[in-house]
Amino acid sequence: MSDDTLDSSDPRTLPGFFDALADEELLGGVCTDCGQVLLPPRPACYACGSRAVDVEPQSREGEIFSYTEVHAAPPAFAADAPYTVAVVELADGGRLLGRVNADYADVAIGDPVELTVREPTAAERDAALDYEADWPIHVFEPR
Amino acid sequence: MAVDTAYVRMPEPIIASVGASPLGRTDLPGRDLFSVALAEAFDELPDPADVVEAVYVGSQSESYEHQIMYGTLLAEWAGLRHVPAERVEGCAAAGALALRHAVKDVRNGEHEAVLACGVEKMTSAGTSGATDALSAAFDRAIEQRSGVTAPSQYALLAQRYLHETDATERDLAEIAVKNHANAARNPRAQFPKEVDVETVLESNPVASPLKLYDCAPVGDGAAAVLVTTAELAADLDCPQVRVAGSGASANNIAVAERDMTDIAGARIAAETAYEEAGIDAADVDIAEVHDAFTVCEALLAEAVGFAPTGTGYQSYLDPADRADGWTDVQLSPSGGLKARGHPIGATGLLQALEAYEQLTGAAGDRAVEGAETALLLNEGGVADAVTVGHVLTTAEAQ
Repeated sequence: MSDDTLDSSDPRTLPGFFDALADEELLGGVCTDCGQVLLPPRPACYACGSRAVDVEPQSREGEIFSYTEVHAAPPAFAADAPYTVAVVELADGGRLLGRVNADYADVAIGDPVELTVREPTAAERDAALDYEADWPIHVFEPR
Repeated sequence: MAVDTAYVRMPEPIIASVGASPLGRTDLPGRDLFSVALAEAFDELPDPADVVEAVYVGSQSESYEHQIMYGTLLAEWAGLRHVPAERVEGCAAAGALALRHAVKDVRNGEHEAVLACGVEKMTSAGTSGATDALSAAFDRAIEQRSGVTAPSQYALLAQRYLHETDATERDLAEIAVKNHANAARNPRAQFPKEVDVETVLESNPVASPLKLYDCAPVGDGAAAVLVTTAELAADLDCPQVRVAGSGASANNIAVAERDMTDIAGARIAAETAYEEAGIDAADVDIAEVHDAFTVCEALLAEAVGFAPTGTGYQSYLDPADRADGWTDVQLSPSGGLKARGHPIGATGLLQALEAYEQLTGAAGDRAVEGAETALLLNEGGVADAVTVGHVLTTAEAQ
């Protein structure tokens, strides 16, 4: 891919990434020079600076790398609190933050989880910018 | 005739004067907080219009006051008008970024006197307003849409730190106890009172494992720092502190994609500042680091070279009781962000103010005896999304 074709259908842009995610396909950027996985994909590798970034499907399975429980939530999420959030290390090497559909007390570092996708709730749509309104929300499920 | 550039010496930036507003919940809007800080900084100086050639303003968010153009506004309120003036944005690092711009302007000879200031009116919309405003510093696409908050982002770091090291929640609580004890001797502090470790451990969970007393408070505040050449500072008869080094680094915006316990941006910013100053971490006597949450002080003590990996949590211990390889540095003598206060855009300049008072013998009964060299470490976004480091030294130190 070269940058001069970059448009909203390209998964190195956010609309392109979320279109694929809505179809339950998690796409990552993979640097062809150093192998770094970039989630979401983007035109340049932060690890080595290369712009030779391929887009490849990523495993949706991973392990909890770190986690917490949000008690005082932002206004748009206040009704959901408390809820669990984690950084997950995916099987193909990338790391992604997301909600975890489990109580904080039932989660530990190293626990296996799988990324799932759902449509935004009415409250989440209300809090969304116009161009985000249809973007899916990803949630990690224990497995 | 060609100029021999080996003899062209860059002016050395000097902090010549400092001032701050009261910190915490105040009845003053941002511009008025600035006026209070400026009045202190110029109490014994000519009017700003007779001295200041440019203005930088650190400001986190326009959502608190629905006001941008803070460079223009504060220049005008200072009695300046046709000077270069701009707001600097970098979340909580905005203040030190403003200082860094002032330092560079003096160093490269563009100006002889630059005002670096910072202001935040955080209490304008309650805790939920501040929570929402601060969340704008996170990656919008993934992090914000997952409902994270500032405490929960730092809780992810804390959980990982507790997992990888021997540190306990009690150790983190002891950092809060130490910083409150320092703040109790700081008349500028938002919380000038001591707390015990049980109070910290039993305080309400905010984002587990972090509790209320692990977190810096929301509060209003402004600070002003005048950066000049040494010649001008002498003409103005100001106590002088040298800005011997300045460094800055960005890192990934998303916490998930960083090394969550090796705070690389802070390491790079500090090492750059040390190198410019010609010092090592071991030469630093006092450090004002970005302890927005207790775990930050532990992580940063390691990142900037004060503590071996995995031992930064011992920052609350007397130097003689810390692990081998620790330096003798005293951290957060002001009480830190935790207890001195953390009005976001002003924080980096409040750090400079503390070092200025410590290095000019104006720190009263919280003075660290013999302190000649200070590190300032100011972060923005979550942890090292952007970091600014400065080394300050007494005018005598070389």
